[in-house]
Amino acid sequence: MLYAETVDAEILVHKPRFIAGAFCVVFLILLMFNLPASGLGELMRPVIGEPSESGWFGRVAVSGVLALLFCANLVVIAFLPMRAQVLAVWLELLVLLLIFFETFDLSLPFILEKLPFLITQGLLTTVYISAISIMIATVIAVFGAVAKLSGNGFVFAIASFYTSFFRGLPLLMQVYLIYLGLPQLGIIVDAVPAGIIALSLCYGAYMTEIFRAGIQSIDRGQWEGARSIGFGFGLTMRRIILPQALPVIIPPTGNQFISMLKDSSLVSVIGVWELMFLARTLGQKTFQHMEMLIAVALLYWMLSIILEFIQSRIERHYARSKIR
Amino acid sequence: MNKSGFSALAASVLIGFSALPAFAGEALDRIEAAKTLTIATDANWAPQSFLNEQNEMDGFDVDVGKEIGKRLGWEVNFITPGWDIITAGNWQGRWDMHVGSMTPTNARAEVFSFPAIYYYTPAAVVVHEDSSVTALSELNGKAVGVTTASTFEAYANQDLTLDVVDAPGLTYEFQPGEVKSFANTSTALDDLRLGAGVRLDGVISSLPSLLNAIEAGYPLVQLGDPIFYEPLAVAIELGDPELTDMIAGAIEEMKADGTLSALSVKWYGVDYSLAE
Repeated sequence: MLYAETVDAEILVHKPRFIAGAFCVVFLILLMFNLPASGLGELMRPVIGEPSESGWFGRVAVSGVLALLFCANLVVIAFLPMRAQVLAVWLELLVLLLIFFETFDLSLPFILEKLPFLITQGLLTTVYISAISIMIATVIAVFGAVAKLSGNGFVFAIASFYTSFFRGLPLLMQVYLIYLGLPQLGIIVDAVPAGIIALSLCYGAYMTEIFRAGIQSIDRGQWEGARSIGFGFGLTMRRIILPQALPVIIPPTGNQFISMLKDSSLVSVIGVWELMFLARTLGQKTFQHMEMLIAVALLYWMLSIILEFIQSRIERHYARSKIR
Repeated sequence: MNKSGFSALAASVLIGFSALPAFAGEALDRIEAAKTLTIATDANWAPQSFLNEQNEMDGFDVDVGKEIGKRLGWEVNFITPGWDIITAGNWQGRWDMHVGSMTPTNARAEVFSFPAIYYYTPAAVVVHEDSSVTALSELNGKAVGVTTASTFEAYANQDLTLDVVDAPGLTYEFQPGEVKSFANTSTALDDLRLGAGVRLDGVISSLPSLLNAIEAGYPLVQLGDPIFYEPLAVAIELGDPELTDMIAGAIEEMKADGTLSALSVKWYGVDYSLAE
């Protein structure tokens, strides 16, 4: 929410015309599917009789009931306070997603059997590779941003060359380049360090631009004021510019963290046993790869949710000044 | 795995750096110093090599690797880089030996030394069990799925050369209308299981992997006899004749005392250690 709404208006989903429109649209969409053939037809057997023989009557009946439920759901949720609305909609979408996965006919015992190994080996590796890379990338970004704003031609040239190069190549290619290329210079790095170097350099480049934009968003008067009362460069940065730039920098940086978590899957190509690698290999022998892919997808998602949560806490911290 | 090329990406990387000197260590010295043989293999190629119920490396290739280590008195250690990284060469001492069903070709012989061929896999064709195709020749003009850069792809394109001494003879049984290449066999099989002709009419791969899929409940049937047999070898980097001889000796012993046949029967149910 941008700011609290101060003008009262009738709630959209309580307008009869809107509800009628929504009903028609949902009803027509549902009609396109042969719903009586699904479990829903079975549930409505008392009304429509044998689902497979119910024909168009069955379709209309099942679609009509579903569309009615959908609209009733909209109306009811609209009565709830905001937080309860969010919770209700989240839960409903989650249930729909689980029903979708359920149709894959997955073997839950197999997932549970492999889950401990997925966590102790895969999740742990993914998390520590991402965490180290994020830290290095942040340090690179601070220096990169300062360098890109520098008046020194050499420093600017190096920083802009760096961001241009590492933003300009696919991350997958950087992983290969570092793993296969560095040994040609006599530096033999193992798979994990090679992955960390690639992730740090690539994300360092993106975050350099974020930090630069954040610093530039601060009015020049702040800079001039600090300099005029005798603050040096470092002090101005630390005490005046960065504290004001952080609220601007944090949302996109949180984005980068979440994105890095998932891009760390690219190091699986050089044989690091992280989540993605295990997702592709664990189910192979028994051809249960859908099980592993979905289990790992959910693990990635949970990690992202944790990061989203941390990000929102930090944002709230920096938004203190905007609260009335 | 028997992919006859390596990825263009890895190739371009290597070409870019080829002007610089390579720093290859003597594999044998390294192994003797550590008393450990580091073996590279694929983790995604059941039943040759895969992660078993205990989440450890297991399979025919893994057993052969362990046996070689045992006979030479070394501990073994497995690592799982991507196939293209292994076949790109320039291992830089990250691992000493590759036991992963590599087909010895002339092109690869410029980078690797192949101490010994340890088995021959039959390549075969599967179709969906509802398919009307009953003979290999009926696949003429149909869509066939294969693994990218594999000998199966070369076969489908009628462009297969097994550059080895005493390679078994080869005839092309059919000419597909469309050859669809996949990153691995399981993706091709997932497409084929959707139904006969939905996305694919048939898949060419190694018979053991195909039988494995059928056993796991894939609705597929083998079509006709195996279409060719390909020799598969242990690979090490060039320039280590002593290590080559030691590995060749170990494999020779394993052939002579029946260990290799026993391992083959254990994993495939048949003895593939001899060419048909």
